[in-house]
Amino acid sequence: MSKEFKYVGNTFPCDDAVRKVTGDLAYGCDMQLPNMLHAKLLLSSIPHGIVKNIDTSKAEKVPGVIKIFSHLNAPDKMFSSYRIIPGQKMCFADEPLFANRVRYVGDRVAAVVATSLVAAREAVSLIDIDYEELPALLTPEEALKNEEVKIQPWGNLAHEYAVDVGELSPAAEDCITMESETQTQRAHHGAIEPHGCLAYCDTAGKLTVWTPTQSVYGARTVMAEFFDMNYSDVRVIKVPMGGSFGGKQEFLFEAVTSFMAMETKRPVKLILDREECIIHTKVRPAVKSRIKTTVTKSGKLQELIADSTLNSGAYSGATPDYATTLSQKVCRLYRIPHYKHTGRAVYTNTARAGGFRGWGAPEIITAVEVHMDQVAKKLEMDPVEFRLKNLVHPYDMDPVTNISLGDARVIECLEKGVEAFHWKERYNSQQEQGRYRRGIGVACGAHKNGMYGGFVDCTTMLLKMNEDGSLNLNASIHDVGCGIGTVMKIIVAEVLDVDPDLITVTEADTELTGYDPGVYGSRVTYVVGACAKKTAEMLKSQILDNAAVIMNKPKEYLRVENGHVVTSGEAEQRTLSYKEIAEKSIQENYTSLSAAYTHHSTSNPGSYSVQFAEVLVDTITGLTSVTDFLAVCDVGRAINRGMIEGQFQGAAQMGIGYALSEEVKYNAQGQPLNNSFTNYHMLTAKDMPDAKVLLIEHEGDDGPFGAKSVGEISNVPTAAAVINAVNDALGTFLTDMPLTPEKILVALNK
Amino acid sequence: MLIEFKVNAKQYKMDVCPTMRLLDLLREELRLTGTKEGCGEGECGSCTVIMEGKAVNSCLVLAPQICGKEIITVEGLADDRELDLLQQKFMEHSAVECGFCTPGMLMSAKALLMKNPHPTDEEIRTAIAGNLCRCAGYSKIVAAIKDAADA
Repeated sequence: MSKEFKYVGNTFPCDDAVRKVTGDLAYGCDMQLPNMLHAKLLLSSIPHGIVKNIDTSKAEKVPGVIKIFSHLNAPDKMFSSYRIIPGQKMCFADEPLFANRVRYVGDRVAAVVATSLVAAREAVSLIDIDYEELPALLTPEEALKNEEVKIQPWGNLAHEYAVDVGELSPAAEDCITMESETQTQRAHHGAIEPHGCLAYCDTAGKLTVWTPTQSVYGARTVMAEFFDMNYSDVRVIKVPMGGSFGGKQEFLFEAVTSFMAMETKRPVKLILDREECIIHTKVRPAVKSRIKTTVTKSGKLQELIADSTLNSGAYSGATPDYATTLSQKVCRLYRIPHYKHTGRAVYTNTARAGGFRGWGAPEIITAVEVHMDQVAKKLEMDPVEFRLKNLVHPYDMDPVTNISLGDARVIECLEKGVEAFHWKERYNSQQEQGRYRRGIGVACGAHKNGMYGGFVDCTTMLLKMNEDGSLNLNASIHDVGCGIGTVMKIIVAEVLDVDPDLITVTEADTELTGYDPGVYGSRVTYVVGACAKKTAEMLKSQILDNAAVIMNKPKEYLRVENGHVVTSGEAEQRTLSYKEIAEKSIQENYTSLSAAYTHHSTSNPGSYSVQFAEVLVDTITGLTSVTDFLAVCDVGRAINRGMIEGQFQGAAQMGIGYALSEEVKYNAQGQPLNNSFTNYHMLTAKDMPDAKVLLIEHEGDDGPFGAKSVGEISNVPTAAAVINAVNDALGTFLTDMPLTPEKILVALNK
Repeated sequence: MLIEFKVNAKQYKMDVCPTMRLLDLLREELRLTGTKEGCGEGECGSCTVIMEGKAVNSCLVLAPQICGKEIITVEGLADDRELDLLQQKFMEHSAVECGFCTPGMLMSAKALLMKNPHPTDEEIRTAIAGNLCRCAGYSKIVAAIKDAADA
C-alpha cells in the first residue's frame, strides 16, 4: 500500500441509504404530478405480422380513458433507442413509436392513456387487433436461411465484423488443436424495479422527462431529434433507479411516453409490469461461439480462431456494436500469437437484445474459458497451470485495440485465488462417485475502464464550497444503485480532507448538470471519479490561494488538514477553517470558491477477475448447487470497500443464475416461455453460497487513487467458473447454457 | 365495501373496492410508497409488509382481507426519525444498494425477528427466501440481519 488514506478504501453506505431503508426515497413509479395520467401498453401477441385493423370501440367506452394511441395516430418516423450522441455510428433508426408491422411477441402495438391504471389496463384488454401473420424466424440460423422473409427492410443480417491480428508462426514443438461450440442464452436483467418513466410537456412547449436512465443526455438526444426540438427544450431528469444492469441503458420508453404527454397535454406515467419487462424490453443477447485453438503440448497458446453469431432480436438497438465488442475481449485476457474472430448480429422474431452487464464479455469469455478447461484436460494439465502460461502480463498491449492493458494483474489474481481457495488440494482430491458429485472450477475474466479508444468519454463537473464549509458537487451522476454518488463523495473528501457527510452530490439533469454520456463501459469510477478528483484538487488550490491572502502567508506554507488550512514553518501554527475561508473569500476577496472541470480519459486499462466455484450436482435430479465461491479482483484501489464486495456478491447471484437457470426461452410458435418470475428463475438467499471476495490493489493506473472498474468485470468469469465446476464434477463437456437439470440428466444418461 | 384496519399504529376506516390489492391500498390510497411492486405475483417480495405479525406479499392480499387487522409497512419501522436497529444494520453492512428490494427485505427480516429474536443463518436465509435481490447477492443482507439479532 503506497499511502494511508483517511476515507478511500473504507466502507460507507450509499448516500441515499437512509431514504431507502425508511421507504422515503421516491422512484419513478412512486412519483405523482397534478393531473397525471397513466399509460398502459398493448403488446403484440404474435411474433411476426402486419397490423391490419385496430378496433378500439369497446376500449374507448371505458370510463377514464383519455386517448388510445397506435401507428394510426402517431408519427411513422423511426428512431434508434441506442443513440447517445447525434452523429453516433452503428445506430440504426429502425424502431417506431408503435409498430404497424410487429416483429416479436411483445412488440409495441398500441397504448391507452387513462385517468387510472385500472382503467388503462381494462381498456387495453378490450382492444381487438387483426394481424396478417408472417412466417416467424426465431433463430439466427433460420433468419439467415430464409432471406426471402425480411425482418427489417434491408434483410436479416444486422451487422458483420472480422478481426485478424498477429500470425501463426510454426511452433517449435508438437501442437494439439481443440474445437468447441458454446451457446449462451437470452437472459433478463431482473432489476427489481420495473421499467418506465414520467413525461410532461408544458404550455410553453418545454418537455420534461423523469426517468431512471443510464444517460440523461442520451435520452435528450433521442427525444430532441425525434420531435425536432431544441436540445435545450428537452429536460431529462434522472430519478432514483432500482437496478439496471444495462436494462435501462437504451431509451425505449422516453419518446413514446413524451409523445402521449404532448398529445394529451397532461403528465403521463408509464410503468411496465414484470411480464412486459421480460418480453418487451431488452434481453442479454444469445450468442453462439465456435472456438478453435492450437496449443503446444507444453501448453502455450499459438492460435485462437473464433466465430460468433449474436441474436439481435427484432431491432438493431445496441447489438451491432455489442457483436463487435465480442471480438475485443479475448486478447485482453490471453497472449495469443494469432487471433482471428469473425461474427455477425442477426435479426430474429424474438425479444430485442441489448446492453447487459459485461457487454459481450460474459458471452465470449464463458465460451473461451469453458474451452480452455477442455484444452487443459486434453493436455492433462491443471487448468490453473495452463492459464498461467498464457494470461496477459502487466503493460501488455491489446493487439485488437492497440491500447495498453495497464497494470493488468490477472496472474496475481489467479495465484492469490489458488491459495485462498486451496485449489491444489481440492483439485487433486479423489472424485466422489455416489449420487452427489462435487466439482471445482476456475475462470478468468477481463474487462475495461471506460470508452477511451471507442467513444466519447468526457465528463464535466462543478464543485463549490458554501460559506459554512459544506460542499456541493454538481455532476451528471447516474446512480444505477451501487452508490456512485458515494464514490464521488469519498474521492472529494479524501482530496480536501473533509467529512464526506458535508458533501452533497447531484444526480443528472440535462438542464442543471454538466455533460456526461452516461453509465456505460465501466467508466464511472475510472473516468467520472477521476474528474471528481481533479475538480477537488482545483478547488483545493483555490482554497489555499484564498487562505494565503487571508492568512498573509505564501501558499507553499499552507496545507489542508481535517477541514482546515494550517500553516507550516511558523513558530506557532495557525489554522483557519474551511467555513472561515469560504466566508471571507466572498466578503473580503470577492470570490466564491468553485471549480469547474471537464475530464477526458486518455487510457483504458484492463480490469481483471478470477473466480472459483465449487458445485454439488445431484445425479438423480440433475440439480446443481454452488457450495463455495470466491471472486478475486484486480480493482487497482478500492474506494468504497463494502459496496465493492457487494458488487461481486451480487454478480455471483447473476452469474450463477446465468450458468444454471436463467433463460428467456421461446417455443416453436415464437411465444416466450419465461415471462414471469415464476418461470424465470433467479437465485434466492437459500440458493446462494456466501460468496467470498478478495481484492488485489496496486494503484497502477490512471483512475482516482489508482481505482479501476468493478461493476461489470465482477460478472464476467462467473458463469464459466460454475460450468467448469459442473464439467469437473461430471466429467462432461457441457457448453449449452444454462445447465438446467434436464440438460444435466440428458448428459448423464449418454 | 367499508373496512377498518390499522396501518403503522394508525386506525383507518375506508370504503374500498373489494378487488383492490393491499399493495394498491397502501401505495395509491395511503400514499405509503415505500412498499414496492416488482412482479405483482408474489415472487419477488418487494411488496412485503407485516400483517398480524406475519410477513405477507401485499400484492397477493386483497383489501377486504385486512379488515380488523394490523399492518406494518417500512414507513412504520422507524420510531419518528429514530431508525430501527435493522435499518441501521442494513446501512452499516452495505446491505442497501439500489434499495428497491430493501423495504420488503426489511419487513421479512422484521417479521422473523419479532418471532425469533436469535435466528441462525439458515433461518434468516429461509425468512428472506421470498425476497429477490439483484444487486447484492444476499450475504450482506444476511449479515445485517444477524448483527441486528445479536445486538
